[in-house]
Formats: sequence, C-alpha cells, structure tokens
Amino acid sequence: MPVEVQQRTSVGFKDLSMSFQKNPLSNDLIVLNHANAIAQAVKNLVLTDPGERFFNPDLGTGISESLFENVDVISASQIQVYVENTIRNYEPRVRLEEVVIVPDFDSGLFNVTVKYEIVGVDIPIQALAFPLVKTR
Amino acid sequence: MPLVKFANLDFDQVKQSIKDYLKSNSNFTDYDFEGSNLSVIIDALAYNTYISSYNANMLSNEVFIDSATLRENIVSLARNVGYTPRSRKSSQANISFTVDVGSSTALTLTLKSGTVATSRQRFGNVSFAFTIPEDITVPIINGTATFSNITVYEGNYVTENFTVDTNIPNQKFILGNEHIDTSSLVVRVYPTSQDTSFKQYNLKNDLFNVIADSKVYFLQEIADQRYELFFGDGIFGKKLDNGNYITVSYTVTNGENGNGVSSFAYAGRIFDNNGTLVTSDISVITTNSNSTGGQEIESVDSIRKFATRQYSTQNRAVTSADYESLIPTIYPEAESVTVFGGEELSPPRYGRVYVSIKPINGQYLSASVKDNLVDQLRKYKIAGVLPVILDVKYVYVEFNSVVFYDPSLGSNADYLKSAISECVEMYADSTELNKYGAKFKFSKFTKVIDDCTDAITSNVTNIMIRRDLAPILNTFAEYEICFGNRFCVNPNGYNLKTSGFTVSGIADTVYFSDTPNADLLTGTIFMFKVDTTTQAGVVLKSVGTIDYVKGEILIDPIRITSTAKTNSQGPIIEFAIKPYSNDVIGKQELYLQLDINNSTINMLKDEISSGADISGSRYVAASSCADTGSLIRR
Repeated sequence: MPVEVQQRTSVGFKDLSMSFQKNPLSNDLIVLNHANAIAQAVKNLVLTDPGERFFNPDLGTGISESLFENVDVISASQIQVYVENTIRNYEPRVRLEEVVIVPDFDSGLFNVTVKYEIVGVDIPIQALAFPLVKTR
Repeated sequence: MPLVKFANLDFDQVKQSIKDYLKSNSNFTDYDFEGSNLSVIIDALAYNTYISSYNANMLSNEVFIDSATLRENIVSLARNVGYTPRSRKSSQANISFTVDVGSSTALTLTLKSGTVATSRQRFGNVSFAFTIPEDITVPIINGTATFSNITVYEGNYVTENFTVDTNIPNQKFILGNEHIDTSSLVVRVYPTSQDTSFKQYNLKNDLFNVIADSKVYFLQEIADQRYELFFGDGIFGKKLDNGNYITVSYTVTNGENGNGVSSFAYAGRIFDNNGTLVTSDISVITTNSNSTGGQEIESVDSIRKFATRQYSTQNRAVTSADYESLIPTIYPEAESVTVFGGEELSPPRYGRVYVSIKPINGQYLSASVKDNLVDQLRKYKIAGVLPVILDVKYVYVEFNSVVFYDPSLGSNADYLKSAISECVEMYADSTELNKYGAKFKFSKFTKVIDDCTDAITSNVTNIMIRRDLAPILNTFAEYEICFGNRFCVNPNGYNLKTSGFTVSGIADTVYFSDTPNADLLTGTIFMFKVDTTTQAGVVLKSVGTIDYVKGEILIDPIRITSTAKTNSQGPIIEFAIKPYSNDVIGKQELYLQLDINNSTINMLKDEISSGADISGSRYVAASSCADTGSLIRR
C-alpha cells in the first residue's frame, strides 16, 4: 500500500532583529523575515552554550569549550556533532542536509557551513556560513 | 487576549503565558522556536516575571507568622503580640567540695564567679565548662572551708561592656554572642567607666509597675539568634546618661548537650580574705545532682504555636487553656501540661486549679520546682484561686504479644524480637502517647508490630493497665486509685491483680482482688494470701470497693507495713486490670505510658504462611484471653 506523505506547509516567519535598529523608512524595529529569520535562529542555536538559557540547560552546542582545543580535525568533528544535534533537536523548521566544519590552522578558527532545507517552502537548499573564533 | 494568569510561580508556565499573549496580539511568529531572537527576549521577560513572582510570594509569606520561614521574621512577628521566645538554657548541676587550708590564718575563702568546674567525661572531644554567676564566700572552720550544694551552670561566662554615647543616634546594645542563656544576664550600669559603684538593672518583659525611675532593661531577639538590650526613655524606665558604662555578664551555653554530666574536675579560682590565690588541697568534687535542664533555643514551630496562644491569654491565667499556655514559658522543661479546675472533681473543690506537669527529664517534679511554679503563677492567676501542682499520675499500659513470623524470610526469632522491641519503643516515645490527653490506640499499636519487618505475619496482643500505689507505711490511710478507664468484668472475680504487701496483724504477704456485685457495675475489694499463684485464701472479705465503670478503686483505711515491690520513689503496690476497651485514654491528670519492661513478646513460627504446614494441621493458636491464670503480680 503506498504511504501517503503529508507535506508541512510553512506560513512564513517573522522575528525581531537583535540589532534593535530602526527601519529608516517605516521607523519601526527592523524585522527578520522567512529565510533570514531561520538563518538567524540557526546561528543563535549554534552559538548558544548549554546553561545559557534560563531553565533549559540542554539547549546549545557547547562549542565555546571546543574552541580552546587544538585546531584540528578531531575538534572539528566534535563541533560538527554538537551543531548537528542541536539543530536537529531545537529547530524544527529546517531539515539539516550537511554541516561542514573546516579548521583554519593559520587563523586558529573553524569555518562553519550549515546546509539545510526549509521545511514546507519550495526554495533551494540554504547555506549558512560563519567562522567560529575564540573571543578571549 | 489579556494576560490573565498572574499567579504562576513556574518559569515554563510564565513563558507559556507570554507566548499565548503573543499568539493573540502580535505579528511576530517565531516565539515558538528556541533559536529565535524573540525566544531569547521571551526568556528574559519570563525570568524577570518569575523572579518578581517568587519575591512577592516569599515576601507575602514572611508577613504572616503561620507561613514565615525566616526565624528573625517569626521572632519579629511574635514580638508584635508581646511574645519573647525562650533562649537557650544552661544545664544545671549541684556540686560540693572542700578546701583544706592547713595552718593558714585566713578566715574565709571566696570562689570567684566564672568557671568552677569542667566535665571529666569528654563528649566527642568536647568538654563542658560549668560556671557560677556570683562570687561565693564561705568561712574556714577547723582549717577547712566547705563549698556545699553549689549550683553550677554549663557554659562559658562572658562579660561585655558598652559606653552610652548620646551623640550616636539610635545607639544599639547588641550582645556579640549567640547561644546565650538570657536568664543568666546580669546588667550593671556604672555612672562612668572609672566608677566602681553601680546600679543593677533588671529584665522586664512588660510595662507593669515600670515608672520613670525604674532600673529596668528590655531584651529582644534579633537576627542570627543574638540579643539586643534597650533601656528606658525616662518615662518607662530610667534613661541612661551620656558616658554611662554598662557591663553585661551572661553564660554562653551548649544547651541540651550539657545535660547528663555526672563527674566534674575543679577548674575555678579561690582567694582567701588576704587576697592569696589558693591552688592546692582542694578535694575531689562530689556531684550532688547530675547536670540537667539544658535546653535549645525555642524552635520556630514552638514560637508559632505559643505566641498566638500567649497573646490570647493576655498574660493572665483565667481559663485552664491559659495555664497550659503560660506554664511552658515559665517552666520550659515541661514536656506536657494538663490543667483542670477543682469544680470538675468529684466532689468539687472550688477555688483551686489543678496543674499536672510531666517534665522532659524524669517522671516527677521536685518539691522546690513545684513551690517555685506556684510562686510564678501567682503573678498571673485570679485573686482567690489557688494553683495546686499535682504529681503526675501514670497509667501504664502493659502488653503481652504473641507474634507470628515467617521463618522462610530468613529471620530468626531473636532478631525479630529485638526489632519489634525497637519499633515498640519508638511508638512509646512518640507524641501519640507522651502527652496529657493521650490515647493508646490498640489497632495502631498492633499495626506497629505487624509493620515492623516483612517477616512478621500477624500478632495476637492482650493489654493490661496498671497504676502504682505509693503507700504511706505504718500509717492508717485510705487510698483511692483512679484509672480513668472502664474495667473489664469477669463475673467470677479476680479481675484485679496486685503485687504483694504486708499489713499490721497479718504475718503473710497479702494481695488485693475483687468480687463483682450482681449488677457487674461495682464490686468489693477483698484481701487474700496465696499458697501458689492460683490458690487463694481470703483473709479479709471487704477492704474496699471497686467501680468498674468509672475505673476507680477505693481501699478502706489500712495500715500497710511493707511492700514486695519498690521503684525509684520508694515502696509501691502495683494494681493491674484488664480494661473494658483496648483503646486506653489518659484522662485529666493521668499520664499514659507504655511499659515495655513489664511487657512480653513471644515469637511463634507461622508455618501456614511459610508453606511448611499449608493445611494448618500443626497450628498452635495464641490466646486472646488476657487472663494468665495467675491471681497476683510477681
């Protein structure tokens, strides 16, 4: 018997920008819409440490500790697992395709690329790239 | 949709309320996703609300004495109704010793205030110091000075000084130590720090008889179980002047830890009248009474309980409940207090209030404590009403238990017997029994035995109630023994079993027992002697009466010359009888106690439960008949 697949349909997303700048045209707060809101959410999740959010000690990747490990493929692999688990558990709006962590030995940082598909929206796979740098 | 749930104290519920609000009132949609910026803001808002709610909740709790948890708040609320919580109390002991001064020409020796002795025993590496608050001077007679019957107080003797400075607004006199026995406070006020003459100030808890020149001070507990002194304002109590020098002496005590010290080593300072320190030829200290009476500071539960009750008494002893509230504040060592008016007695004794107190340590109050209590109660009682302190009258419950156990569960009889004894002792020590107006609940008691270990399958328990009569030897006297519980009546008599005694004119040891009348409500007490425990020979047919319904035994005038049994108070005759109901109460001044020493526990294998004898053909029944066949108590 064929299995009927139910496709979720997204209704659009709207989030605040953490810059808290005002829109020069509308004089309202800058908002993030749709793919931008999701990209920001994914980045927030990756950069959150466990225990940082009130009463939700499991949320976050804990990569800030890994950043002080040696910049090598082992650390990169560990960070990759953290990022994958967090996005899968806490961001239901995306279907994770791939997380690529590339250590940059010269600069002492990791380049992160998260590729994901937005559930229920017929747009190409999104790629979010940002560096993970030691901040202290 | 308005935000309606204001009373949430749970972070997740607060957060959900905010999300629900946004769902109805906002264009933003991402509040549901933990990674969104909006979610971070909602978290911050919810956390802020949560902290505010928590603080508001705690704050409102701390406003009321019933719900406050911080001691300083409870004390403060109690202060509002004029209640001063009890401080720690030093344990007291009584000691004596002598000093041999040889050929010295000194006339007197003075034992200086402060530490006098230390405990010889060490309790977990702690040795207790015992002090006296004032110098004691004794004469030297025939080369020996005798310090006899000195009351020493456990703790360290401390003196603190304050100088009054009127330039300091709201100057506070806060004692630096916690664990103070406030009854040991001695407050002296010198005109200046250079003066040697002083006025002693006395503690007052109220404003009665306090005039502008009264040398009084007031005391209140503040944070961390410390105390603050404050003095009069020139209207109520004498106002202190600038430069006045205050010395406050007190004992810092270990409370109830200092109880039970029986052996002391001398550690004091003795000077003769020439000012020479005496350090040798001091005898071993004799302990007249072990240290007792040490108490912890009043617990917050006790403050909650008594502050409101004392407020309702208004510092007046009018009703019996007033007495019951006041006595624990006057005599903190009272474990349980019962009070009833003389009008409730039969025959009534108007104008008297009967007070019976079970002390925490020991069974009876000493005569001096009773006198002191009557003196203290005079301040509160109605004129013309005389408080009478009665000795505690104990009604003992004795049990005879046959306990069935399953040997397949790996327990042996001796181990189980010891486990049951421990369980029963815990029950005997519980507040279920150790109070006036207590009730021995038979079903609960048998459940205590059943639930003691898994190996116990059932028990068959019989009980007797007993009172001990302390006769006045070699004197004609009439005795009334009240049990406050109805008796079970066997029409054949011999319901009452007593221990032996002798009376003038009869050579043998004799016993009391009873013959019921035809109505089975009352009966006659007779006296008999025995050849064996089951063979009686009546000596006197009628020596008293028994009322089975009221639970009273009246013995006509009789001259008892000796008794077969004694206890710590002297010779006794034990009266034991089976109660009509297995639930026994302690009525009025009767104090119920479970007497484990005179009870028995017998273990029997339950072979039906263990599977060794499933058909029960070898089953031995345990008797539910309390009568053992013996006519007397050995």
